[in-house]
Amino acid sequence: MSLFKTTPTLRAIALTGLLGAASLGAMAQAEKPQYGGTLNIGMVYVTLSPLSWDPADWAWKFGQDTGLMYEQLFAADLNKSVRKGGKYPFVTDAWLPTDGIRGELAESWKTMDNPFRVEVKLRKGVMFPEKPGVMKARELVADDVVYSFTRLDKSPKKIPTYFDHVEKVEATDKHTVLFTFKNYNAEWDYRFGWGYFSGIVPKEVSDAGAGNWKNTNGTGPFMLSDYVQGNAATFSKNDKYWDKEPIGGQSYKLPFVDKIVYRTIKDESSYLTSLRTAKLDVLERIRWSAVDELKKNAPALKWKHSVDTGGTFVALRVDTKPFDDIRVRRALNMAVNKQEIVQQYYNGSAVLFGYPMHPDYTGYFETLDQMPAAVQELFKYNPGKAKALLAEAGFPEGFTFKTQVCSCNPDHMDLLPLVAAYLEKVGVKMKIQPMEYGAFLSAMTTKTNAPGYLMYGGHSNPTTSIRKSFVTKQTWNPSQYSDPELDKRMAATYLEKDESKRQLLIKLMTRDIVEKAPYIWLPTPIVYSAWWPWVKNYDGELRAGAERPGPIHARMWIDQSMKKQMGF
Amino acid sequence: MGAYVLRRLLALIPTLLIASIIVFVTIRMIPGDVIDLMLSQNDIGADKRSREQLVHALGLDQSMPEQYLRWVGAILQGDLGQSLWHSTPVLREVLDRLPVTFELGALALTIGLLIALPIGVYSAMRQDTPGDLFARSFAILLLAVPSFWMGTMVMVFPSIWWGWSPEVNYVKFTDDPWQNLKQMIVPALVLGTSLSAVTMRMTRTMMLEVLRQDYIRTAWAKGLQERTVILRHAVRNALIPVVTLIGLQAPLLIGGAVIIEQIFVLPGMGLMMLEAVSQRDYPVITGVFLVVGVAVMLINLVVDLSYGLLDPRVRHQ
Amino acid sequence: MQVTQELKVASSPTRQLLSRLWHEKPVGAAAALVFLLFVFCGIFADWLAPYGFNEISMLERLKAPSWKHWFGTDNLGRDMLSRCLYGAQLSVIIGLSVATLATTISVLIGLLSGYMGGKVDMVVQRIVDAYMSFPELVILIAVVSVIGPGMPQIIGILSLVLGIGGSRIIRSAVFSARENMYVHAAQSIGASTRRVLWHHLLPNIMPPIIVLFTTRVGAAILIESGLSFLGLGVPPPAPTWGGLLSGSGRTYMFQGPWLALAPGLCLTAVVYATNVFGDALRDLLDPRMRGAK
Repeated sequence: MSLFKTTPTLRAIALTGLLGAASLGAMAQAEKPQYGGTLNIGMVYVTLSPLSWDPADWAWKFGQDTGLMYEQLFAADLNKSVRKGGKYPFVTDAWLPTDGIRGELAESWKTMDNPFRVEVKLRKGVMFPEKPGVMKARELVADDVVYSFTRLDKSPKKIPTYFDHVEKVEATDKHTVLFTFKNYNAEWDYRFGWGYFSGIVPKEVSDAGAGNWKNTNGTGPFMLSDYVQGNAATFSKNDKYWDKEPIGGQSYKLPFVDKIVYRTIKDESSYLTSLRTAKLDVLERIRWSAVDELKKNAPALKWKHSVDTGGTFVALRVDTKPFDDIRVRRALNMAVNKQEIVQQYYNGSAVLFGYPMHPDYTGYFETLDQMPAAVQELFKYNPGKAKALLAEAGFPEGFTFKTQVCSCNPDHMDLLPLVAAYLEKVGVKMKIQPMEYGAFLSAMTTKTNAPGYLMYGGHSNPTTSIRKSFVTKQTWNPSQYSDPELDKRMAATYLEKDESKRQLLIKLMTRDIVEKAPYIWLPTPIVYSAWWPWVKNYDGELRAGAERPGPIHARMWIDQSMKKQMGF
Repeated sequence: MGAYVLRRLLALIPTLLIASIIVFVTIRMIPGDVIDLMLSQNDIGADKRSREQLVHALGLDQSMPEQYLRWVGAILQGDLGQSLWHSTPVLREVLDRLPVTFELGALALTIGLLIALPIGVYSAMRQDTPGDLFARSFAILLLAVPSFWMGTMVMVFPSIWWGWSPEVNYVKFTDDPWQNLKQMIVPALVLGTSLSAVTMRMTRTMMLEVLRQDYIRTAWAKGLQERTVILRHAVRNALIPVVTLIGLQAPLLIGGAVIIEQIFVLPGMGLMMLEAVSQRDYPVITGVFLVVGVAVMLINLVVDLSYGLLDPRVRHQ
Repeated sequence: MQVTQELKVASSPTRQLLSRLWHEKPVGAAAALVFLLFVFCGIFADWLAPYGFNEISMLERLKAPSWKHWFGTDNLGRDMLSRCLYGAQLSVIIGLSVATLATTISVLIGLLSGYMGGKVDMVVQRIVDAYMSFPELVILIAVVSVIGPGMPQIIGILSLVLGIGGSRIIRSAVFSARENMYVHAAQSIGASTRRVLWHHLLPNIMPPIIVLFTTRVGAAILIESGLSFLGLGVPPPAPTWGGLLSGSGRTYMFQGPWLALAPGLCLTAVVYATNVFGDALRDLLDPRMRGAK
């Protein structure tokens, strides 16, 4: 049979195939989840090992490390995710939109005034599994919540003033917890609710030693079954987990997979390779420089990108000359060609303006176009005006200043010479001082950092983003910015109950700070995450609480036959 | 011989003591106090009182001599202290990671020797023949490529060409030896081949030296077979600096081949040390140092003793 | 007339050596030339480099090798040829300084310990043991943190670490050599220790010393590259080959393989050359081979 004769047949086959695929695609909307399999996940901080299993250690990574087993009062309402037709991508590192929160261990809650109180009704029948040698299986009760809070509050490692707004926490009956506050605090639910340290850990585990991974035991969908420090943490399915997941109109018992392994891989080439060969099913953070090659060599991967949850900037010490002069600071901003950095350095994978408010902070974020002219000016390349401003401030010949950078961050080590090159064109010389991680960080915390300090500042949430970096004497305030007016406004924002009023206050403060330019604002890179197509019920969501992806991972399922078909 | 061994073992103690004091003090002089590091993990500035609370909780408020004495006292009871960050006993963390390093080191050394010794001896025997030149060139080439680059290439390129990459999941040898070896063999090969390059050349050099010695010529003259001459006399004497070399390489392997561990995701002592120093986790650093130190000194003892076995002229005690 | 000619030739041992190198060990001679070429490039980098080593030009980023940029450009548009030439400067400095310092330390300690033997040997070896059981990383990070990353610190620390480590090789060579007949002979006729060491012992342990020196050059360059990988090497924008290879070389190895090939080949070439040259020298200088081929 000649080739040409078979062509109509081939076309027919192709057409049938297409139709079949199309109908399959339609069915995919309501695919029936399968149970079983193991998920290998490289999380956003894939290079870092778990810091601590004990919330009383106040480790910021606690929620990420333990999110699969220790549950919290509140978590993200994943039904409001973009994937399910809602409007939230759930990517921001420590913020949940108010209407994107659902009760996790809390069945319902209500707020009351005079004094400000929150009454939380816990779900009934939520069980702690049996843990031989630690505790018998039993129901979660209000006393567990009270105990967890008290333990956090009394820890020597507690962040000072964190719970100052709390008067008392008590169990009014078996399933009801009453929080009584001294005053309203805009972050009340973030600080103990869906925050970094809000996991509910039973007394028995604390008594046995909460820091020992072998003692861990929570109400969550998974249990920590193995831990190899520096390599992987393995979580096994909790058969008696209480929650269900609605898919295609039906309700399915969670979790779907048998095991989830959180991997720690320090080296970038190694974790990219692991993704390429499907030793990782999901990799939550990929630099823009690695994307093209991965797309070429692993074309089946699915992708999602988002604006990085941290700002990149050079902090200028406003308490030293010449940076006490706002003209100098604004001049430096205009001297840097930020558009070129976006186009050429990041190859387009960056946004010009994404800090201190993250673009996903719905209601809090204003785009550059919405900002006043004085702010927009800082993001337009204008070396002429920069020189003029410098001359006006008394530096017609420019000046020299030292900038510290962490040698642990290869991106920054490349970026800083680029910034220095721009500044040199207006006569300002930057002396670069690379520092090792520990020394770099402590320079900031001891307030001995150099006049210039290139760093990455996490967004966290709208109120914290401003407070931690721009309120007087805060730890993460390397520019030593101090404006008593701002401090007052910040305090007032925390006390403001009405969210829309808070949003306005924050918008105004943001405008003010950006305009005053305590930093050389630099573009915010776009980061990517990728996963293999057999990972279902997932579209790149990253956090369901403050650095807590657990609930998202718990709802994933694996199409095992697809995985086999693809050769893995 | 027995008295010599005993004396050497006793001599370990003052050495370790001095060395431990130096490390203890040096680490605390590094800027970037662990307290500052810990407090900076959180986003609210710590006031003086909470700093003091944290310092006391970590036991860092006592004077240095006090801290050091407490540490020594604890060691004598088998307690290496607790990690400042993980709140886990240092001894347990070290015992978890030591087998990884040991295994990698043993495998790499063995592979290195298996490659180096025969080729080194052959090279010396057939000096300046094409075989010798090729062997030497290859050895030097292996030497000349940085280990992280070799490791990266071994990691990355097979994944692109054949869709294969080394195992990254660590299981203990005692749990599943086959799975464990699947992960270990690739980094051991990379490490072993670079080690072999140095050993190969040293072996060759020393073999050449020895082959020209008088007693070898005597053996030739007596008409002994080449093989007997080689095995019985030349190799044994050429092995002394080679054994020295092994002694030198072993500490590297105990201390942790950090780069290889990082690339091949091996949870060994090297990475542990790197992380601990970066986080200023003093108990872990000093604890690891102690273990490494003891291991190194024991290995050197074995090396020295084997000199006696290999070279009768050196058997002085 | 023949006598005069012979005297003339014999009057310069260095020339003799060089001539022997050229005739008997052509490969070694070639290696020496390669190394000298790099040294030359390093010394005259300022004149040879067509661009500065930190000339950033975003429009020229990641360009493949061309007539304008023989080795291509990196992710910031800097000319790789220039960066490699300046890298040669840095590597030559690091390599030769460390090798010289380290070998000197090794010889001093090795001679002392190996020749004296007995109690002196024991004490010195204990100190060497104590030193060698230090994780090098700890020392390096400590130094790097207190003084900041930089070349002098790295040279100092590497010299110390490699020097003390290498002393054991010298020591073992001394062990073997001191039992030789002519050493005993010299001692028995009452030669001073210094004379014995300098005239009899040292020439006989020259081969391992030379091999040690040449391997140190390469080792120093290689270790610095490993340190760069861990983030502890000579910091950017200093274009050490190790830094180039472990940094942008690895990140952009797909978009721009020349970013890794250029410094990688330079590094490998220099280490290769020094080792081959060292081998050739050793072969020539071995006193037992004098007279033989």
